[in-house]
Amino acid sequence: MNSKQLDVLCSAIFLVFGGLMLKFSLSIRHIIPTDVGSGYVPIFLSICILVTAGAKLALTLLDKKPPKAAAKSDSDLAGGLGTVGLMLLYVIAFEPVGFLLSSMVYLFAQILLMSNRDNRRPVLFAAISVALPVGIALLFAYVIKMPLPVGILGF
Amino acid sequence: MEMFTTAISNVFNPMCLFLIWGGTMLGIVFGSIPGLSATMAVVLFLPLTFGMEPTMGLALLVGLYMGGISGGLISAILLKIPGTPSSISTVFDGGPMAERGEAGRALGVGILASGIGSLIGIVALIFISPLLAKVCLLFGATEYFAVAVFSLTIIAALSGKDMLKGLLAGLFGLALSMVGMAPVDAMSRFTFGNYQLLSGFDITVLLIGVFAVTDIVQAGINRKHLADGFEKKTYHLKGYGLSMKEFITQIPNFIISSVIGIVIGILPGIGGSTGGLLAYTAEKSRSKHPEKFGTGIIDGVIASETANNAVIGGSMVPLLCMGIPGNTVAAIFLGGLLVHGISPGPLIFQNSGEYVYGIYLALIVSTIFMVIFERLGLPIFTKLLDIPKHILLPIIMVMCCVGAFSSDSRAFDVICVLAFAMIGLLFKTFKLPSTPLIIGFILGPMFEENLRRALMASHGDWTTFVTHPISCVFLVVAVVFCTVTVRKNLKEKRAAEAKGEVFDTAEEEG
Repeated sequence: MNSKQLDVLCSAIFLVFGGLMLKFSLSIRHIIPTDVGSGYVPIFLSICILVTAGAKLALTLLDKKPPKAAAKSDSDLAGGLGTVGLMLLYVIAFEPVGFLLSSMVYLFAQILLMSNRDNRRPVLFAAISVALPVGIALLFAYVIKMPLPVGILGF
Repeated sequence: MEMFTTAISNVFNPMCLFLIWGGTMLGIVFGSIPGLSATMAVVLFLPLTFGMEPTMGLALLVGLYMGGISGGLISAILLKIPGTPSSISTVFDGGPMAERGEAGRALGVGILASGIGSLIGIVALIFISPLLAKVCLLFGATEYFAVAVFSLTIIAALSGKDMLKGLLAGLFGLALSMVGMAPVDAMSRFTFGNYQLLSGFDITVLLIGVFAVTDIVQAGINRKHLADGFEKKTYHLKGYGLSMKEFITQIPNFIISSVIGIVIGILPGIGGSTGGLLAYTAEKSRSKHPEKFGTGIIDGVIASETANNAVIGGSMVPLLCMGIPGNTVAAIFLGGLLVHGISPGPLIFQNSGEYVYGIYLALIVSTIFMVIFERLGLPIFTKLLDIPKHILLPIIMVMCCVGAFSSDSRAFDVICVLAFAMIGLLFKTFKLPSTPLIIGFILGPMFEENLRRALMASHGDWTTFVTHPISCVFLVVAVVFCTVTVRKNLKEKRAAEAKGEVFDTAEEEG
């Protein structure tokens, strides 16, 4: 996408966001008669978002200058999706599976995903993946006295 | 005088000095790890001080506070991730300096600036606190609303070349701060039946998501180039990386940034992050070469670090003289004072003078320890850069999740970190600046609560904001600041177009 298309999409997203925010803000009850109410500032903000996004959209569409072409990128979609997927699994598993186990698996998988053939050392990665969560868990349990989630397996 | 002598003998004993040193070192560690913070350090060690003699307990807390605020610069510079919210603006120039191989210099300058900012803040606390406290007594909801509006105008200066995008980002930050229970009447808003959202989003979680995890996702997208140009960083640093000539040139920066930090520290509800950002913006506006800000110059690092450390002294002024905490850490510190039977207020110097002087002395000693030991530890801190990114970034992700969890002991915050990272990624895709988002989020509650309180007090009369002189001054300054920034922006745009250059309005701030 070129810069103009990105700006149009960005403005459209904010217009939708502003509209939804306004819809929900209007339903906030006003309970103290002498107060402007809890919905006042959200309504004000949503109107500001709608006006600003509308102005941005209008200015972008009226701009006659040729849009800046998107820079050529050899970014790795699989790497991005893989990273987000691993993070998603990690944050979901953080409490039910427990900090230790989820962190060990996440660390190993994420380091492996980010490494390349030249610097891939699975034994070292495994050692780091085990040692770091154990160290953090011990620090939190015995020094900071704030236990991290233990999960269904009890550790 | 007798109280001062008692304070000297209390502070300058080996055990108390060890506690200040230990607190400062631990604070630096907490501050340097993204997700952990000065607030967390003080909270976690507060129960430990309960059994201690008051001066010793308070000395430990002072060390943690001082070290925690300063430690944030280490990850801000080495990892481009602010260790604490106070160090957000240190990333702007500290990060690019480290990328250029000047990590040691950036750290050295940052440490020195932290020390100078702290000392100036302490001097202000000692000598002018009663005067400033009197001025603060004049502030009500109307004035605080005006301060919030003025603080929000810095969004204009931090929006890069496209003010509308900066404004949208700032408004989005304000909108995020509306989630949860509203001030004044505690009405729940935008929670959609989820009780976890009742307390709103935590600033630490937002910061970790937008600043740290977004970068890790981006690294995943660019994983083919992660190892490109990777080499073990070395640095050469003499003293604190600042020549005498450079030091003299920076004296106005030190003074102005310290004053900003002190004032921000005194005003309740505004933390070190706003102090650093305001000082950074002020220095950028004052500079003869504002275009160099964000590319890695010491001026930006000095402004940010001087101001966020000067906030410490400033925040102690209303805390000790009126019992009003200037920020979160000061609020926890207030709890520590009360636990030890010290009642803050105008009579504190008469009733607990030896402890107040003890706090002053502990602050000075902690600053000296911080400047010496943070500098001595530089070889260890810069080693962080030697860890390959494909190993370091997943480790940071784990630490971010731990930090998010420990901020409120709930797994929901860990999920929020990823949600904010996705928002951060969208911001980068659309070239929306992320700093206005943070500023909007920080100032949102202050803006709303004081607006509502002021209007309730004036029975809905909006002229209250211009009839109160202090409020009026802040609002006029806000309008002037905004106008000057917009004019400057348009002037640059016209100049670029006259030269036939492309003025890229979709460019993010440095």
